[in-house]
Amino acid sequence: MTLTGRFVLLCALGVVPIVLFGPDLVAAAGVLALWLLLVLVLSGIDLALAASPRAVTVQRILPARVRLGESVTSELYLTNTGRRRLVAVVRDAWQPSAGAGRNRNRVVIPRGERRLVSLTLTPFRRGERRVEQVTVRSRGPLGLWNRQATLNAPGRIRVLPPFHARKHLPSRIARLKELDGRTSVMVRGQGTEFDSLREYVRGDDVRSIDWRATARRNDVMVRTWRPERDRRVVILLDTGRTAAARVNNEPRLDTAFEAALLLAALTSVAGDRVDFLAFDRRVRGRVQGASGAALLSQMVDSMALIDPELIEMDWAAVPGQVRGITSQHALIVVLTSIDAAGASTGLLSVLPQLTKRHTVLVASVLDPATVEAAATRGGRAEIYRAAAAERALLDVARVSAAIRQLGADVVTASPAQLPPALADRYIALKAAGRL
Amino acid sequence: MSATQFGSQTDTAARAGGAAGGSGGSGGYGGFGVGAPPVTTVATPSLRAVLRRSSFWVIAFGCIVAVAVVAVLVSGGSNVAGRALAGDNPAPAGSMALVEVLRQQGVTVTLANSLAEVRDTVGNDSTVFLYDENGYLDGDQLTDLAGLAARIVVVAPDFLSLQALAPTVGFGGVSDAESLTANCAVPAANRAEELLPGGNTLSIPEAAEHPLVTGCFASSTDTFSLVQVEHDTTGAIVSLVPDARVFNNENVTGYGNAALALGLLGPSDSLIWYLPTLADLPRTGPPSLSEITPGWVSPALVLLALVAVAAAFWRGRRFGPLVAENLPVTVKASETMEGRARLYARSNARLRALDALRIGTVQRLARAVGLGRLAHLEDVIGSVAVITGSAPEGVRRVLVDEIPRSDAQLMALSDALQALEHATGRAVRAGAVPAAEVSASASREFVSPPAERMDP
Repeated sequence: MTLTGRFVLLCALGVVPIVLFGPDLVAAAGVLALWLLLVLVLSGIDLALAASPRAVTVQRILPARVRLGESVTSELYLTNTGRRRLVAVVRDAWQPSAGAGRNRNRVVIPRGERRLVSLTLTPFRRGERRVEQVTVRSRGPLGLWNRQATLNAPGRIRVLPPFHARKHLPSRIARLKELDGRTSVMVRGQGTEFDSLREYVRGDDVRSIDWRATARRNDVMVRTWRPERDRRVVILLDTGRTAAARVNNEPRLDTAFEAALLLAALTSVAGDRVDFLAFDRRVRGRVQGASGAALLSQMVDSMALIDPELIEMDWAAVPGQVRGITSQHALIVVLTSIDAAGASTGLLSVLPQLTKRHTVLVASVLDPATVEAAATRGGRAEIYRAAAAERALLDVARVSAAIRQLGADVVTASPAQLPPALADRYIALKAAGRL
Repeated sequence: MSATQFGSQTDTAARAGGAAGGSGGSGGYGGFGVGAPPVTTVATPSLRAVLRRSSFWVIAFGCIVAVAVVAVLVSGGSNVAGRALAGDNPAPAGSMALVEVLRQQGVTVTLANSLAEVRDTVGNDSTVFLYDENGYLDGDQLTDLAGLAARIVVVAPDFLSLQALAPTVGFGGVSDAESLTANCAVPAANRAEELLPGGNTLSIPEAAEHPLVTGCFASSTDTFSLVQVEHDTTGAIVSLVPDARVFNNENVTGYGNAALALGLLGPSDSLIWYLPTLADLPRTGPPSLSEITPGWVSPALVLLALVAVAAAFWRGRRFGPLVAENLPVTVKASETMEGRARLYARSNARLRALDALRIGTVQRLARAVGLGRLAHLEDVIGSVAVITGSAPEGVRRVLVDEIPRSDAQLMALSDALQALEHATGRAVRAGAVPAAEVSASASREFVSPPAERMDP
């Protein structure tokens, strides 16, 4: 039961008769008592005539998933099984970050009928957003009192990572196709394998003219090349404590998601096989053996539920995990953070095991605020800040050098630049035939 | 739309969504509770359930209230701490016993709390019992009282009472006699014969031989425990009993107390039992706030208070329970850098700070002049000096030798490092590219932090 503003107003209006008809204390008190009695009687009538919110049955239709930043419509069907006409306000109890807005809907449902309450959800956090209950506040005919009941109507919607980096995909695919020989401009790289012969068109590299074939066909023929295909790429995501840090108001983990998605999209276009593993001390997410559209869909699905864990990454278990995925030579892309030498000892200690069999690429987010601070030398405080930033950059450089010395490759970039930088490095490795 | 129709539609939607869930889009539909209308359970307990669950507390509260009510009723609503000598007070200090006995004897006893009430009920032949414990009455009121009644029994008179009613009588101190016997002409005293010893007394000065003053129960020659006076002006008979204990429930049955009390109070059919209260005090000062406000103000205030409570419930009632949410950890990545900067600043670690800046500068210079990251420091100094056309000693001083003694020197050295970097960059550009292209490539050169850092 709840009361309304109209009830409060009605109570307050009692001042008028009290002032008008109550010259002395006793008469005024009498008027007050009469007024309260009147208000109570009206409230009782109103409450008795309000439709029961318990007689409402709820059906919910929800889209299973939505990409972060997009909006979806949640549909709620309310059926009035009671005997009276229901005039009510309905609240759908979503988690705050589901972005349900004001979430108060007026409905009028005659007895035995059903009405739709639709709600636009714009989630602003990744993960699984839940809804537990529906609260119905049924108004009496006088609008003085409401009957309120909360009905169980659970539901959930999976909010996927946004994949903003897909804007970089077309340009990278174009470069991949240049490698592939499918464009007229041929780029011939070391380690590419022979594909086929075709007629010469203007713009082709004259060095790729196959003179023997030209002699046979009596037409100028060129050899086309294509990069190696069906290589293995393993994307390993560090979801330990360092992934929780925010750079440019974006957790490192989310940047890693973007980079992993762009790389996976590119890799599947290039014809390589991608396996994805999110790991800290246990496996948080794993996608294996998928390809094409299903790959990205499975990846975002498993990423949606991953949050950084405040525990140290177990690097010693990583080679075993990689062995479990593939025994062939593969490109291992490790998305982690390179900070100080002390924090990276775990990574450095297992790199030799990985680089012995595989090509390893370590990608890390570099804080642009650090680079900026290193160049800002205003006053005393800023100089010390610049010194600390310079020290941090030196640490990153030292760890990067150590990683390179162990035979792996390093990519560091600001959050916005890391996904395309990683994609470029992948294309470069592919062109170099190092996959 | 019927329920079955609706169910089948959503089923197809769910199937289509499963197939189209492709690239992580929002196409998929997973229905919850679709199909036949489900039975919706209600989370809010009904009024009946609430009552059933809280029945123990309701019953317990009811029992407590019942016990309290019974206890009050059993104790007879007794005003244990009531006023002394009050006619309706059954406590030891009260006088209910005496009043009840008088009523049984046919005397109409009226309990009065103010002089106005006495004035309303007094008759020609009334007796007034006066016990002014707190001295509320002033002289004029006492004189008025003397004019109202035929007989007045004043218990424990104070100075003002004596002045107004019996000016010739004074105080006699506490009696030290072993026993008090009547020995006088007052009939009631004679019937009582003996009185509770040890109370206050009144004195009648021997010099002022007054014909109308009679003293009984003498403790000494001039101190008495009962003095009867005929009032000068009105002729009322004023009986002064200095010891209030004679009349209270505890002592009235002892000695001849009861006989004396009944004798003094019972001669007429009408007795007014008057204990003055605050209502007898004369009203002084300006009228109080409650007198000048209209009568409707208090009820209106009560109503507004109720409205405020109702408004609180109106606004405060929540619209169903909240759904909890686990929030992610938020740590800024640059916190460690900031912390280290503050540590440097607090401990004035100038040389250490400058070392960091110098190493960074040297590495950038090495890259600028085309030497590798692992180039020797002397080579870098030499190349930079040659390219910028400055003395190697100066470059070495900035890059290595000089030790900052103060923050000012630290800032000067930091500026010198930056200047050296700029000069080298300018010189390299001027030397490396033709002058015409310098301006064209200037914008590219000044892109300050490199977005992607890869070691050479």
